[in-house]
Amino acid sequence: MKRQRRSRRNWPRVLAFGWLTGVASAALLAPSSLLAPDLLHTNQPPFLPSHWLGTDPQGQDVARALVQGARTILLVSLPAAILTLLLGAGLGSIAGFWGNTRLRLTRSVGVAGAALVLSALLFAAPLLARGVVGGIGLLAAAALLGWVLHRTVWGRRPWALPADALVAGLIVLLDSVPLLILVLLVAAVQRPSAGGLVLLMALTCWTTPARLMRAATLQARGHTYVEAARVAGLSDWQLLRWHIWPVTWPVVLVRFPLTVSLLIGLETTLSFLGVGLPPDTPSWGRLLAGIRQSPTAWWLLVWPGVTLLLTILSLQYLSRRKM
Amino acid sequence: MKQILFGLVLLVWAGLGLSACSPTTTATSAETIRIRWARDPDNLDPLLVDNPSAFEVTNLLHCSLLKGNEAQNRFVPWLAEAQPTTRPLGDSLLLVTYRLRPQATWDNGSPVLARDVAFTLKVMNCPGLPIERDQATFGFIRNIQLDAHDPRQFTLVCAGQSGDRVSISGDFSILPEYVLDPRGTLRTVPLPQLALPRFQSVAQAFARRYQALNLARHPERLPGCGAYTLTAWQPGRYLTLRRKARWWADSLPAPPPELQAFPPQLTYQVIPDATTATMALRRGEIDLYALMPAAEFARLQHASPDQTSLRFYTTNSYEFLTANFNVRRPALRDALTRQALTYLFDIPALIRATQQGAASPSAGPISPRIARYYNDSLPLPSFSPARAAALLRQARWQRQPDGSWQRQGAQATTERLQLTISYRAGEPSFETVALQFRSAALALGIPVQLHPTEQSLLSRQLRAGEYDMNIRQLAGNPFSYDFTSLLHSRGIGNGNTTGFSTPQTDRLIEAIPLATSPAEKARLLRKFQRALAYERPFSVLYFMRYRVAASRRLGVVPVMGLVPGYEASRIRLEKKPTTR
Amino acid sequence: MKAPTVWRHVGRNLVTAWLVLSGLFLLTRGLTDATSYLQTALEADSRIQAAERSQLTRQLLHRAGLDLPLFYISFEPTQGWQWEGTANQYHAWAANLLQGRLGTSYRSSAPVSGLLLEALRYTLPLTVLAAVLSAMVSVGLATTLNGRYPAGRRALLYLLHALQAAPLFLLATGLLLLFANPDVLAWFPAFGLGLEEESATWWQAPGRLLYHLALPVGSLVLMSAPALTIQLDAALQHELRQPYVATARAKGAAPSQVVWRHALRNALLPTITLLTELLPNLVAGAVVVEVLFALPGMGRLLAEAAATQDYPVLLGGVTLVVLARVVAQLLADALYLRTDPRIRLQA
Repeated sequence: MKRQRRSRRNWPRVLAFGWLTGVASAALLAPSSLLAPDLLHTNQPPFLPSHWLGTDPQGQDVARALVQGARTILLVSLPAAILTLLLGAGLGSIAGFWGNTRLRLTRSVGVAGAALVLSALLFAAPLLARGVVGGIGLLAAAALLGWVLHRTVWGRRPWALPADALVAGLIVLLDSVPLLILVLLVAAVQRPSAGGLVLLMALTCWTTPARLMRAATLQARGHTYVEAARVAGLSDWQLLRWHIWPVTWPVVLVRFPLTVSLLIGLETTLSFLGVGLPPDTPSWGRLLAGIRQSPTAWWLLVWPGVTLLLTILSLQYLSRRKM
Repeated sequence: MKQILFGLVLLVWAGLGLSACSPTTTATSAETIRIRWARDPDNLDPLLVDNPSAFEVTNLLHCSLLKGNEAQNRFVPWLAEAQPTTRPLGDSLLLVTYRLRPQATWDNGSPVLARDVAFTLKVMNCPGLPIERDQATFGFIRNIQLDAHDPRQFTLVCAGQSGDRVSISGDFSILPEYVLDPRGTLRTVPLPQLALPRFQSVAQAFARRYQALNLARHPERLPGCGAYTLTAWQPGRYLTLRRKARWWADSLPAPPPELQAFPPQLTYQVIPDATTATMALRRGEIDLYALMPAAEFARLQHASPDQTSLRFYTTNSYEFLTANFNVRRPALRDALTRQALTYLFDIPALIRATQQGAASPSAGPISPRIARYYNDSLPLPSFSPARAAALLRQARWQRQPDGSWQRQGAQATTERLQLTISYRAGEPSFETVALQFRSAALALGIPVQLHPTEQSLLSRQLRAGEYDMNIRQLAGNPFSYDFTSLLHSRGIGNGNTTGFSTPQTDRLIEAIPLATSPAEKARLLRKFQRALAYERPFSVLYFMRYRVAASRRLGVVPVMGLVPGYEASRIRLEKKPTTR
Repeated sequence: MKAPTVWRHVGRNLVTAWLVLSGLFLLTRGLTDATSYLQTALEADSRIQAAERSQLTRQLLHRAGLDLPLFYISFEPTQGWQWEGTANQYHAWAANLLQGRLGTSYRSSAPVSGLLLEALRYTLPLTVLAAVLSAMVSVGLATTLNGRYPAGRRALLYLLHALQAAPLFLLATGLLLLFANPDVLAWFPAFGLGLEEESATWWQAPGRLLYHLALPVGSLVLMSAPALTIQLDAALQHELRQPYVATARAKGAAPSQVVWRHALRNALLPTITLLTELLPNLVAGAVVVEVLFALPGMGRLLAEAAATQDYPVLLGGVTLVVLARVVAQLLADALYLRTDPRIRLQA
């Protein structure tokens, strides 16, 4: 039965691969220079000689923006999605597997870590102003504190890190401020660079994969074979690697294409709010956002919409195949 | 099965709802004029109004002594009977004498008297109330002297003698003493002594009573002497005003435009999104949509069903788009470089792309519409990379083999011509301008980076002078020509974000408000425009036109070049009721 | 769970909530410029002279209590560490919050609690309806696809993924342009909740609400139902491969019965986490939809507050959302225990 299914699925697989290869090669081969906006032909419908896919309200050629937008997908959305999933899956499985009592550290590490986080929060503004020097200084101070504490008997006593509560707290912090409002607040502080944008998106979106991973880990940990393996003397890491992850990672993987699309959507909204990529970096999201200025320009919806959809469906198809 | 049942229940319910709200045909809606607002007034306490929606409502509920009149380019009498007479006192004070209209009455029939004006000024000076803004705006009114013989006549003692002070001295809403202070507790307190400890208890008691009214959310508790009363306000949704059945100005034989009020009922609908507002206008859910986006306006103008149901108006405004140069930056400190960069804006193409051709280019910050003061002998800016390059060479910039520009700066440093251009994020026309400039500059070998920035961060950067070039919109008006905060050396750090000042322009800015005759004022203003055209602290790209689309149910809408773009109280309904 | 365990659990959640709010308070005020909420209004007013503007700014900051130091301790490079005593912004805010006061809005000078209640009146019908409908749609779709009509499963999943790729503003604009457009179909109103003078009897009112909320709710369902369905479908697929399902089939249960009676209960577990996200989101509102359809709900209130730096409103709204989250977390844990007794909560 399995063989039969595989042979039937062959052609969509080829198509999906083909499309993604096309996008990747467009991203690699796209011209890097931006054409001057054609102000005489703004919002021009497609299939006319000068711009065969039409122009946006700024007078940019849609076809060229599509090709150049592929590069943005490759350089921004994809890394951000991978980072998001890794962060979420990592934190989620830590929270689910070790819970509040099972991850043991020494007190010195705990106190130093808490001091580090607290002071970073309180003096965020002066730290941001100093940049790298301030960050290293703070880290060094925390390390010194940990080292001093570690020399005392009290500091070396074991202490259970409440991993579950910490991760849950972080999730609460991020989710209680609606995403758009969080982004507006960030924008009021400083406009991030492209790398900062990837980080910002990953840092705000990891909560849902983490939550799913935590739930799946909780469930997997309850299985009898995990108990059996634990009794057999496997270490925590071995348990996690060989008995928990094989069961839990499909839960997160199923979200990969979804996360990519979510991040492309988020990038659109960010560009729209002016926190995202600068306007001289064309992206599919920016093209889509153009529909808000001219609601009748269907070509701004159709072309980037179709390319976005095909990309996401291909990603989704290929990731599901491995399940 | 359960789902099907539930679905059926929902369907029946929805059906009931649909039958209940087929298009409205209630008696009131035929005489209601519905106007779109982009935002809520937020706060209608007369001491705290600070957004355009709130100003619009306040001007319908209350009257001031004077009101700006666009047709006459000056402030004209509103609650005052005539223009005030002025008399200098010493060399720093000015006495401004007003007389109120004898017909003016409050809702209870009692006349509007000079002591109401005195009371209003005391409210604006009462410690314990949120009066900081009024203090900053009207603090120059030091005292009020009531006339012993005529209860309607009074004299304001003002600090400073410029002509603008006279018009501002009549620009606050007069509040009824009988509502806020029926026992006249403030009447005996002289205005300059209100803050003294002697009167502390009186002032505090009054402040408590005032605060207890919560006028910010309940403006209906303060009936003014305007033509309308507020009947309903759901913040964020709508606000309804009803015309008073008997209003004092109705008895005037020939009321001036300021005292005309035709619509029986005005409803303002808050619709933040432009697409939704367009849809609502086309469906007849609102009657008037002002300051419409250019592309949508042009599209509706040429769409067949809308041509028959809507009327379209455009009018020149006093709002203009500028490209500002930060003259503190070494590369931008000389006028020639700034002139050269101005040649890189393709203004006619930008007007076509962002405003559908409906905007007027100008040589300076005074609208070409004001023919008396506009300096028409200055050339309009044009697009010419060749002249830009020539001017750059005059400014000692040298083109390098790689195409970029460099020159020797102070202390033998090498300056490179590369710029950032910042603007408010999410504003498409700013973005178009910035992109056009970027590509023109790049073709000439000048690298330009775009920095779209969130509003509050941008305003902080502008005040701190942390930018090279900036695109922003500035609003002028036809009444006042005071450029102090925008271009005077005293404005640096506040309104003067370019950091520009020269002794010559400083002198001109100081002289313009003091000019007594229009001819003298015109001479100074023309000279000032010429100086600006050479110095170019900013380049005016174009003056906007305001676009108003209105249902044909309304007669000809009186439009104006000041926000909100129309005069709500002078809109008439079309005589014969049309079927919708 | 025993009673003390429950209390400890609640206590920990409340402490987390307090830390979250304090962190947000310090971050928003520490990182942004206190004067910026005044600047836009002041810059627009040409009547105020430059000299008076800086004094006015100082006075207005004093009125809002923003001229105080931020926290108990402060650090200045020139003066070093300083103890500021209790006259600081954090102390004032925390003391007010403990007494249940959320402060006054800078923008409208109205109490924040009143503003939040007003906004909730518009937001709750919208979000609750959307949540109930999305849950119904996704459970219905997932069970039907896995039980009765497995043939259409793949095609529908593609459609759902496609829907999910669309940002919310596109979906909402699309619905608006399709169903409130005189050029296409003018079935629903373009905005708002109807006009004030239309009086409706009690039995008409809910129907009218439904009619006015059809497009906003529709766009929210279109946005959230695909994610729920895909998640639930994946979980169902996983469960259907388990041995107990084979046992059920061997006993002769019909496919739809297998899904409803056996697999769904287990498959719901990861979905519960998604469902519990809903409760805080119900309170937080939906910015895009509320702006587009002109509903003065929580989303719009908070977004405007963030854009104009109206901190009291912003923090008040977030306080509400955090409280909703505490409740949701407790509910989720209780639901876990009910659906899968193998999971034990740790105290």
